[in-house]
Amino acid sequence: MTALALAPHTCTHCGLAIPSGRDGAFCCAGCEIVAAAIAAHGLERYYAMRETPAPARTTTRTYAELDDPAFQRVHVRRTEQLANAALYLEDLRCTACVWLVESSPRCIPGLVDVRLDLGRARADVTWDPELTSLPVIARHLDRLGHAVHPYRGLDRDRQRRREDRRLLVKLGVAGAAVGNLMLLAIGLYAGLFEGMSRADATFFRWASMMVAVPALGFAATPFFRTALGALRARRLHLDLPLSIGIAAGLGWGSANVIRGVGEIYFDSLAMLVFLLLIARWIVMHYQRRASSAAELLLALTPSRAHRCHPATGELTDVPIEALVPDDLVRVLVGETIPVDGTVLRGTSALDVGLLTGESRPIDVAPGASVHAGTVNVAAPIDLLVTAVGEATRVGALVASIEALGARRAPIERQVDRIAGRFVVIVTTAAALTLVGWSLLSSLATGAEHAMALLVVTCPCALALATPLAVTVALGRAARRGVLIKGADALERMATPGVMFLDKTGTVTAGELAVVSWRGDLDAAALASAVEAASAHPIARALVVHHATTAHVATELREELGRGIAGRVGRRHVAVGSPTWSATRTSPTIDAWIAELAERGETPIVVAVDGVPVAVAGLTDPIRADARIALDELAALGWQVELLSGDDPRVVRRVGSALGLPPHRCHGGVTPEAKTAAVAAARARGPVVMVGDGVNDAAAMAAADAGIAVSGSAEIAIEAADVYLRSPSIRAIAATVAGARATLATIKRNLRFSLGYNLAVGTLAVTGLIHPLIAAAVMPLSSLTVLASSLRSRAFRSSP
Amino acid sequence: MTVFYLVLFLALIGAAAAVAAFAWTVRSGQLDDVDTPPRRILFDDDGHE
Repeated sequence: MTALALAPHTCTHCGLAIPSGRDGAFCCAGCEIVAAAIAAHGLERYYAMRETPAPARTTTRTYAELDDPAFQRVHVRRTEQLANAALYLEDLRCTACVWLVESSPRCIPGLVDVRLDLGRARADVTWDPELTSLPVIARHLDRLGHAVHPYRGLDRDRQRRREDRRLLVKLGVAGAAVGNLMLLAIGLYAGLFEGMSRADATFFRWASMMVAVPALGFAATPFFRTALGALRARRLHLDLPLSIGIAAGLGWGSANVIRGVGEIYFDSLAMLVFLLLIARWIVMHYQRRASSAAELLLALTPSRAHRCHPATGELTDVPIEALVPDDLVRVLVGETIPVDGTVLRGTSALDVGLLTGESRPIDVAPGASVHAGTVNVAAPIDLLVTAVGEATRVGALVASIEALGARRAPIERQVDRIAGRFVVIVTTAAALTLVGWSLLSSLATGAEHAMALLVVTCPCALALATPLAVTVALGRAARRGVLIKGADALERMATPGVMFLDKTGTVTAGELAVVSWRGDLDAAALASAVEAASAHPIARALVVHHATTAHVATELREELGRGIAGRVGRRHVAVGSPTWSATRTSPTIDAWIAELAERGETPIVVAVDGVPVAVAGLTDPIRADARIALDELAALGWQVELLSGDDPRVVRRVGSALGLPPHRCHGGVTPEAKTAAVAAARARGPVVMVGDGVNDAAAMAAADAGIAVSGSAEIAIEAADVYLRSPSIRAIAATVAGARATLATIKRNLRFSLGYNLAVGTLAVTGLIHPLIAAAVMPLSSLTVLASSLRSRAFRSSP
Repeated sequence: MTVFYLVLFLALIGAAAAVAAFAWTVRSGQLDDVDTPPRRILFDDDGHE
């Protein structure tokens, strides 16, 4: 015990301070359990390996539902002796977690192997069903601080994996083709200068063709396929000019090999295809990351439910896969609701934070509809199931985020239009070149120059310009806690215009807090004791203001809209509105009340035995970083206005504290009026709506772009194009600045690639292009676009 | 220079073998996860036999 006594006040497991009143060497029960499990299995090396200490969390779940036959049928694959399943693990952070989890086979006899995929938070476990079972393994992982969920969406995962693999094989083939064709080309180019026998040159050319045609024909199929699809649908697509360039190069090059004269372009083409595939792979990789973040929501809804037998009322634990609509389910206190449903029996309160961002529990009674992902906090309730799994509201939310992510941005469509014009211009130019040079010299020269034009102007850099810039921006933004749902949102936020901000919950904290206290300071502890049990926002503010365990209140009486009274020791304490809580009054108290009300605070009077002793001033405080955030937005050229449903005087007061003139602070605005204001402002220029609540959702959808701040309601997140996961609203300025920088990068890329095409196109038409120049310049243009995208300033500097 | 014909032929066979090997690694799932293995290399060998 001396060792522990020498290192007091910090948790042995996570290093955080141990709260007063807790004995031992740990800050919480979670850390204690995890540390014990680690010690019991001799895994202390974990502490030397980990990068970021954090408090551990464990649950008391038995995971018995993982043994259910219905669950096993869906999630467990069996071979002759072994069984295998994919699990989703919470709280995976670093290398040490990988080591800890993958060391599990040493701790559980019969557990054969655990492989962790950190990016997907997915563990593939293999075990011997004779010796151990999935619940045992799950309990072990839980005890190590990683709560376990079945890995859902396996089909989708498998589908994506197949796509990834196909692309990667093509990438490998293209890469090998580039390397080998380059070697052959160096031989041929050297031959141009040093001299080379005709037979050797012919051999090298044939060898190049043998490599290039099958390899590129295979690797470039994605481009050919999209181009054909676009042609059939009579749409313009960038892959069309790409395919024309690649096909022309392969065809004409092969013809020249067979003819024995003329240029071959195989090495340059292989490089183009290789770079294009790399760009596609980068884009795909980032998109996978974004959609797996959304799937996390689904994974966090529980995996089991207590099904109630309709006649006997008997409870059985079943996996949610086994539930169908109209089943009866019981949800105990502290459990997450597993399905969407209607309350049949019982009244309770739900923590709906996941869906609405609301911090206060809401009351539910029979007939109320409840949603998967919310937490039952008060009393057991029975539900009639209405939707399960992906049909639930959470499931729909995930689907919408994914759909938005796949949307094509206006600038991408514009690039497609450019590509359309590009096809027309280049083919016309090629035809003119053919005719012109045929008249000037011969048909062969004409064909040679026309084909050279088609190949060297293959718009590879154009194809890379937008997706690379957008992908880099979205990836960097996500790492900084800004989730942007699509490239089009970035574009629509890039030009400064009017930015409407909601007040409550956006520029203010969104919940009441005690900001001033007048009178007896000891009364704060008494008030806190009386309010401790209430869920009312004022009560919560008073409890947060002065948490106490010194007093315990009894005989509590709560009067709706007035206040709470109770007995603390021998004293009668009343806390509430000035007219209700005190039977007597005094000039001092009245002066305090008037002073606080003047400042826009809600006065709450604390009375002891009928005598008012103190006045608390409550208000929804302005976020500490709001002023800086608004100044940053103004500096970026945005005109900031407040748009709130709250009392106009309050809105003006908040506005003036933030440096906004009164005519830019609109109070008493209904949701419909918010939408109308946004629509009116859009007639004059770009509009961005920032908000957090249900009342802002329509305005967000009506605006050019909507931004939902952290803690927003689900519907607001759904309507918004951007969701700020970080609590600081300075991220708004960072987002619009990043959007502008991204658009600038895209435009720079487009200018560059079109300029390149104009230059080499002119050279090709005039017949001045040398194949060696083409081989050097073609990949260089694509690499320049790649470098320009990676160098972009978008979302780079920290806020 | 006839040796070129042979060497080139062998080199291309080597390249084809490399591509086939790469395709096999991809298809067997070795490149599905590119985030975790760089961390796994940091583990000491004890207990991971």
